[in-house]
Amino acid sequence: MIRHFGLSRSLAALAMLLAAAAAAGAAVPTYALDATKSTLAFAFVQAGGHNQGRFPKFAVNFGFADDNLAASHLEVTVDVGALDSGDKERDDTLREADLFNVAKFPQARFTATQIIKTAAGAYEASGSLVIRGVTRALRVPFTLKSATEQGRPVLYMTGKTLIKRLDFGVGQGDWKSTEWVDNEVMVTFNLRLIAAG
Amino acid sequence: MQVRNTTARWGSVAQFLHWLIVALIITQVILALTAEELHGMAKLAMLARHKSVGITILMLAVVRLGWRLINPTPPLPLTLKPYERFLANFTHAALYVLIFALPITGWIMSSARGFPVSWFSLFQLPDLVTKNRPLYEAMQETHEALAWTLGAVALLHLLGALKHHFVLKDTVLRRMLPFSKIR
Repeated sequence: MIRHFGLSRSLAALAMLLAAAAAAGAAVPTYALDATKSTLAFAFVQAGGHNQGRFPKFAVNFGFADDNLAASHLEVTVDVGALDSGDKERDDTLREADLFNVAKFPQARFTATQIIKTAAGAYEASGSLVIRGVTRALRVPFTLKSATEQGRPVLYMTGKTLIKRLDFGVGQGDWKSTEWVDNEVMVTFNLRLIAAG
Repeated sequence: MQVRNTTARWGSVAQFLHWLIVALIITQVILALTAEELHGMAKLAMLARHKSVGITILMLAVVRLGWRLINPTPPLPLTLKPYERFLANFTHAALYVLIFALPITGWIMSSARGFPVSWFSLFQLPDLVTKNRPLYEAMQETHEALAWTLGAVALLHLLGALKHHFVLKDTVLRRMLPFSKIR
């Protein structure tokens, strides 16, 4: 009887601990993307010419507290088919099976597994990037500037990271060649994130 | 053969520029017609070469015009009839205009389309205009029309040269040929 009582107390204590941990996890404020004032762009080199494109449709799941980076999280999901390379004909080519193959892989996703602080206002998210069904580890440095706009906390997230298109198989057949389309693609982002709630 | 022109014949620089531009224009026609049959990467590659060669022609055209201005021009034979003289001068002027106009309209066309022009992937040229789809379409038509015009004028030029050689039996063709002797 005493033993049973002890067990119940232990279980109760454990439950409370778990609840507290969950509360700590949920404690980081979450932010919603202001899509109208955010850009996700990519720079690429085609036949020696520098070009800019962007992904107009993407979603961001961001929870962040500077004093609780362990519980902070970032996930970016991109609607690849909505891409805009600045040329309709080129967009269609990019959507084809040999390049992004959007019919089979409509989304690309970056999921951070760890966010560390590198300097005042500077961070690095490391995690995995999935494009065209291929997963690769990726580190994304970014800066955060906080502001209060109309009484709400707002974060401006800016950064860029270099990725190699062929790491993800974006370029099959002829497009595997880097003679006319460079392997390196610079991805830049400027996000306006508004505190939820 | 002399480097500079004389009143009797074209010098080696003028001849080299003339024949090099002829070879590059023929290359351009082949690249453009080939590109039209292709798509994807192969088309991209062919058009990139076409643009690089076009910019090369534009640079050579500048050098050529400059060289012409600081050199004597071998005169047309005095025996030419006024209409022949007019035709010769008109044809030459048109060819000079076209070796500038074709690359420039091609360059504007690329800029208007939003595809920057690069010279053999060694350096990127500035965009002449900002992106503008209707302008791109207008330039594409102009570029093509000018290409046909160049073909017609070049044919007239060739026929003229052959007439000088075989009918009039003068030195006009031979003075642009590197290995011909002129008494």
